[in-house]
Amino acid sequence: MTRPLVEIQNLRIAFPTEDGSLHEAVRGVSFTLGREKLGMVGESGSGKSLSGRALLGVLPDYARMQADVLRFDDIDLLEAPRGTRRKLRGGRMGMILQDPKFSLNPVMRVGEQIVEAIRIGDRRISRDAARRTTLDILATMHIRDPEQVFDRYPHELSGGMGQRVMIAMMVVREPDLLIADEPTSALDVTVQLQVLSILDELVTRRQMGLIFISHDLQLVSRFCDRVLVMYAGQIVETLVAGRLNEARHPYTRGLLACLPTIDGPLEPLAILQRQADWATQL
Amino acid sequence: MTRPILSVENLTVRFGATTAVDNVSFAVAPGESFGLVGESGSGKSTILRTIMGLVGDWSGTVQVDGLEAAKTPRRQFAQHVQMVFQDPYASLHPRHQIGRAIAEPMRIHGLPNAEARTMELLDLIGLGSKFAYRYPHELSGGQRQRVAIARALALSPKLLLLDEPTSALDVSIQAEILNLLNRLRQELGLSFAIVSHNLAVVSYMCDRLMVMQHAKVVETLTREQLRNRDLNEAYTRDFLAASAL
Repeated sequence: MTRPLVEIQNLRIAFPTEDGSLHEAVRGVSFTLGREKLGMVGESGSGKSLSGRALLGVLPDYARMQADVLRFDDIDLLEAPRGTRRKLRGGRMGMILQDPKFSLNPVMRVGEQIVEAIRIGDRRISRDAARRTTLDILATMHIRDPEQVFDRYPHELSGGMGQRVMIAMMVVREPDLLIADEPTSALDVTVQLQVLSILDELVTRRQMGLIFISHDLQLVSRFCDRVLVMYAGQIVETLVAGRLNEARHPYTRGLLACLPTIDGPLEPLAILQRQADWATQL
Repeated sequence: MTRPILSVENLTVRFGATTAVDNVSFAVAPGESFGLVGESGSGKSTILRTIMGLVGDWSGTVQVDGLEAAKTPRRQFAQHVQMVFQDPYASLHPRHQIGRAIAEPMRIHGLPNAEARTMELLDLIGLGSKFAYRYPHELSGGQRQRVAIARALALSPKLLLLDEPTSALDVSIQAEILNLLNRLRQELGLSFAIVSHNLAVVSYMCDRLMVMQHAKVVETLTREQLRNRDLNEAYTRDFLAASAL
C-alpha cells in the first residue's frame, strides 16, 4: 500500500487562558489522508479549522501544539525548519478560506495577485508567461471572460467570482494538498454547485488531496469520500460518504435531526441535547 | 379582506445607475410569516431595509399596519415594525451591557418601567435576567441573536423583519432560534417577513414565499405549492434543485 499523503497522530492544540491555565481546543486528533476528499464537520469551536491550520503551520504564536506524528508526504512537519514549511505553503499545500472579501488584497487587480502567487513560487517565470498561466487557470475556473476578470479589483467581483479567483490562486501552483475552510458557506446555492464541481475536478484530474472543512454535514457527506465528525476537539465519528443515515454517534444524529428540510414536518425542531460524556471520552 | 400588516406596492429602489428593486409588490396578512428568497444581489434584503427607512432613494408605497412609511414619523413607525439582522456580532454595541442594549429603544421612546420590561424580555427569549449585566463578547452567537430579537421586541411591534436570522449560526443553534421565533410569533401574534437564501428554512418558517432574481419578483408561492413542486418558473426549479444538493 502506498503511503498516505498526510498522517496526523494525537494532535493537541492548547491556548493559554487569562487565569494562566491552558484550554485544550484540539484533544488528540488522528487521521490520514490520501488522494481523496476528506470532510471535517463540526460546530464552531470544535477544532476543525485549527487542525487544518496546524497542518499548514499557520497557528498563532501563542498556541501550544504537540503531536506524536505530523507528516506531509515524506516530510516530518514537527522537525521541519520554518523555511521548509514556508516553501510548502502556497507550493505543495494551499488553503482556501471562507470569504474572498477578506482574503484578497483590496487594492490590487485580481489577475496581478495570481501572477504574484505564481512568481513567488518561481522567479524564473516571466511576467508574460505568468499572465498567460493566470488567464488559463481563470478559464479552468469556468470564468467566461478571463481577460476582463484579470483587470478587476476584488470589490468589482461577486462573491462566487471572488471565491473562484481565490481557488485559482491556490491551485495554480498545483499543490498536492488543498485545505478548504468553509469554501462555499458565503456563496449562494447555485454558485456553491459550481465551486464544488471545480474542486471535484481538481481532485480527480490533478490527483490532489482535499480537506474540506464545513459545518454543513449534509453537503460534506454528499461531496466527500469520507467525513470526520468533530466535537469539542475530538473526532467522535468517521463516516463513509453518502451514509449519513448510518451515523451512530448521538452528536452526529442530533446534528442531522435539528435541520429543517423543504418537505419536513412543521413541529418544533429537535434540539441538540449535549451529553457531558461526548467531550470526555479520550 | 382584513388590512395587511405589511403592504408594498410598486417598490423601486435605485443605487445610482443600478436598480436594486424593480417594481415589486406584495402584502403580508396579520399573523402571517412571509419569506423572501433569492441569491445575493436579488434585492431581497434591500426591500427589508427600505421598509425600515434605511434606504434613501426609493419610490412606490410601503405601508405597515396602515401607516405609510413615507409620511409617518420614524419614531411612531418604529413601534410597529422592527428588524433583526444577520450578524449578531455586528448588531450589538460591544461596550453596552445586554440590559442597556435591550432597554435603549424604550429609553428613546420614553417608555416607563424600561428596566422591568427588559427583565421580562430576557425571560421571554430564554436567557433570563442574569444576562442583563453581561457584555456581548461574553455571549455565544446564538445568545447574541436572542438579545437582538429581544431588542427588536422591546417596543412591542406587530411585524418583525428578519434578514437571514440564522445563517451565521451553527445548525444546532439555528434550530433553537427558529423554534424561539415560531413560539414568539404564536404567543405575541407577530407577523414575519423573513429573508433567506435557504429554502429549507423558508419552507419550515413561512406560509408563503416570494422568489426574486435580478431585482424582480419571479413568482410567489404558498408553502403547499413549494412542497408539491407546483412551480411556474424555470428559475424557481433551478433554485430548488441547487438547494436540494
